Amino acid sequence: MSRYKQYIPYLKTYSITLFLLAGFAFWIKIIDVGSNWQQAGLTTFSLGFVLLAAYITAKILRIAELPLISGYILVGIIAGPYMTRFLTETMVVRLRLVDDLALSFIALTAGGTLQIQFLRKRSKAIAVNIFLITLVVFILVFFSFFFISSRLNLMPDLTYSQIMVLACLLGVIAVARSPSSAIAIISECRADGPFTATVLGVTVAMDVLIIVFFSLAMTVSEIILVAGTAFDFHTLTVLCLAVAGSLVLGIVFGKGISLYIERVGHDLPLFLLFFAFSVFKASIWFNHVIETHFAISLQLEPLLICMSAGFTVQNFSKCGNIFMEGLERFALPIFVLFFSLAGASLNLDALRMTWPLAAFLVMVRAIGILGSTWFAGFLNNDPPQHRRIAWMAYITQAGVAIGLAQLAQRRFPELGVYLTTLVLAVITINQVVGPIIFKMALKMAGEVKQEQ
Amino acid sequence: MGLLIGPQFLNLVDVETQKGLAPLSALLLGWIGLLFGFQFEIKNLRRFPLEFFIAAILEGLMTLVLVFTAVYLTMVFCFDIPDSLTMVIAITLAAAGGCTAQTGLAFLSLDTIDKHQHTVKLLRFISSIDGLGPLLIFGLCFFYNPSTGSDGLWPGGLWKGVLTSLGGSFGLLLLFNLFISHSRLEKELILVVIGMTMLTSGLASTVKFSPLLTNFFVGFWLVNLSKDKERIYQILMTVEKPAYLLLLVFIGVCVRLDSIWLVFLALVYCLYRVFGKFLAGFLVTCLNPKFKKYPRQLGFGLLSQGGLSMAIFLDFQHIFPSRISTFVISFAILAVIYNEFLSYYFFERLFKKGAQ
Repeated sequence: MSRYKQYIPYLKTYSITLFLLAGFAFWIKIIDVGSNWQQAGLTTFSLGFVLLAAYITAKILRIAELPLISGYILVGIIAGPYMTRFLTETMVVRLRLVDDLALSFIALTAGGTLQIQFLRKRSKAIAVNIFLITLVVFILVFFSFFFISSRLNLMPDLTYSQIMVLACLLGVIAVARSPSSAIAIISECRADGPFTATVLGVTVAMDVLIIVFFSLAMTVSEIILVAGTAFDFHTLTVLCLAVAGSLVLGIVFGKGISLYIERVGHDLPLFLLFFAFSVFKASIWFNHVIETHFAISLQLEPLLICMSAGFTVQNFSKCGNIFMEGLERFALPIFVLFFSLAGASLNLDALRMTWPLAAFLVMVRAIGILGSTWFAGFLNNDPPQHRRIAWMAYITQAGVAIGLAQLAQRRFPELGVYLTTLVLAVITINQVVGPIIFKMALKMAGEVKQEQ
Repeated sequence: MGLLIGPQFLNLVDVETQKGLAPLSALLLGWIGLLFGFQFEIKNLRRFPLEFFIAAILEGLMTLVLVFTAVYLTMVFCFDIPDSLTMVIAITLAAAGGCTAQTGLAFLSLDTIDKHQHTVKLLRFISSIDGLGPLLIFGLCFFYNPSTGSDGLWPGGLWKGVLTSLGGSFGLLLLFNLFISHSRLEKELILVVIGMTMLTSGLASTVKFSPLLTNFFVGFWLVNLSKDKERIYQILMTVEKPAYLLLLVFIGVCVRLDSIWLVFLALVYCLYRVFGKFLAGFLVTCLNPKFKKYPRQLGFGLLSQGGLSMAIFLDFQHIFPSRISTFVISFAILAVIYNEFLSYYFFERLFKKGAQ
């Protein structure tokens, strides 16, 4: 208890700040909003409010050793359309563009974190872990969800194929990890060693691969739902082209970013903002043009383009550090906004109905990770202690997983409510539990140098 | 760039996207307002002679009055626009006309600066703060509301608005200070400044007031009362240039080059402003005996019309979105470009005529 006494002055300041912020929010809520200009103002105010409230709440939660991201999501939930209605559904929809921009930034960061020399050093261990985690977690989540949903008739308004698609998407999203959370915790603990290196390698590499798996899952889902026919080679070719095209485009753009940094250099955050915006808009425009004029469903993935671009700048130019610094400067507001808006889109009504299923999925996923990491450790001849605790490092989920669920929601609106709610429910649990046990794992592995 | 990606050409930033980007646009306006507010650190201003301050304010206000009169009369006699909107447009154009940017000064050679250091010092001072009067007068536009049919000034509403704005900005200052008191890292400060600027801009728009002006008040309070002003200023300055670049893009998106009249009207507006600046510069140097050492053609060095004017135009476009306001913005932006060209020519003339 005495440990917490030192935080009392901080808590007082945080409480007064939140109280004043809430006062402004209350004042604005009683104002009669008529014109479009006022409505736009209200949206801007709400965004500012959520940003600041999430930041302060995360700081309060941090005293209780809870991760910052939980604070952001919590504020999003409270401010969202299902609790206080401070952020209405219309606002959340209107802020989708901000959301997309944030997601591009996160994808650029994820790609930039991936360092080739680092991957080479632990390549075998990383590859074995990725392969087993992907396979086991996907299969376990897919079959468990499919079995339990069909047997217990949990979603009576969904057809058999819709449940199959939902299981498939949930299975893929269950594989996703959170590189940002992992990096934050490793940096907080100043952890270093083979265990940390493997965890980081698996986490960031998985973040790139997950896009490929997700694209594949989306295509398979579309075939199941729309065409109802078997997987044909044409579709497979188009998918491969889309993935390869996205990767190649990312490489080209990455080279462009490097050139910009080398030749121009200034206003990098602004340039990256333009880049992120352009990639999203241009992908949508390109996909639309290809589909309407050539009747080909070639879906370029903006996330994959951004990741590939980030990876190229980091590994095939001399300006990786400058690039990461440019992203880092505005990372905090972008992350706070992204996670808060994700929290705001959490459908609490559906969550109330699905929480047992969410808890079940968390357990199944954890079991899958435990089994696969133990076996990977066995194959890699890792020390027994590392084998036992490895699963604890892979529970945390956020960022990209939420983004994937939102993308799937837009592609399959009929499944969206279930998917996003389930994913966010699972992520919320994993995000609260994950970082705490990851920190414990790092301590147990003996790789914590000194906490910041 | 803005014109190219806007609805007139590529339509990458269509109406829906503009709605989605509204918070970013409000953030920009707020950022510029805060930055302008930071120019008014009383301790800093007192390092200059009081005459400088009076000259800057007088010059801005005189230009405003001259441009307002010319624009208003032109609109009354030549255009069929509702009275209230005529007034609002005239105030906006005059307020933007009264502001001066330092872009022309930035291109002066070191040799010229060295030779004419006193004049350059005065011009630099005037161009950094002469927007104060015009910006405050621009605030009056927010008490007109042609869309609801309430024409003319509403004194009760005016005082209510002024008090709300000042009171609100003081409350926001308190909140700003509370946030800064426990934000030590640079990335945390960036978040706080972004969040507070959005909060302030959003609050101002919701209570039907100017985000630019409200943030200016917050900036003014902060720079004079906050212990952490240096840290906030550093954050504001790090993205000063990107903020102005983005502002230009947003303004470009609003522009529609769909009439040849724009070119002519821009020329007319530009001439009114040039005349206003020349006369105001002349009067400022004549009214104060201490200013005898400065050239009578001081207005030649005050023609650049930059960021603050653009922010006023964008703010105006947000409050009164209509075909007329888009037309006004379009020729006003052209006039800004004319002014920039004229600025280079007249700067040379000014310093050839033997200024100190």
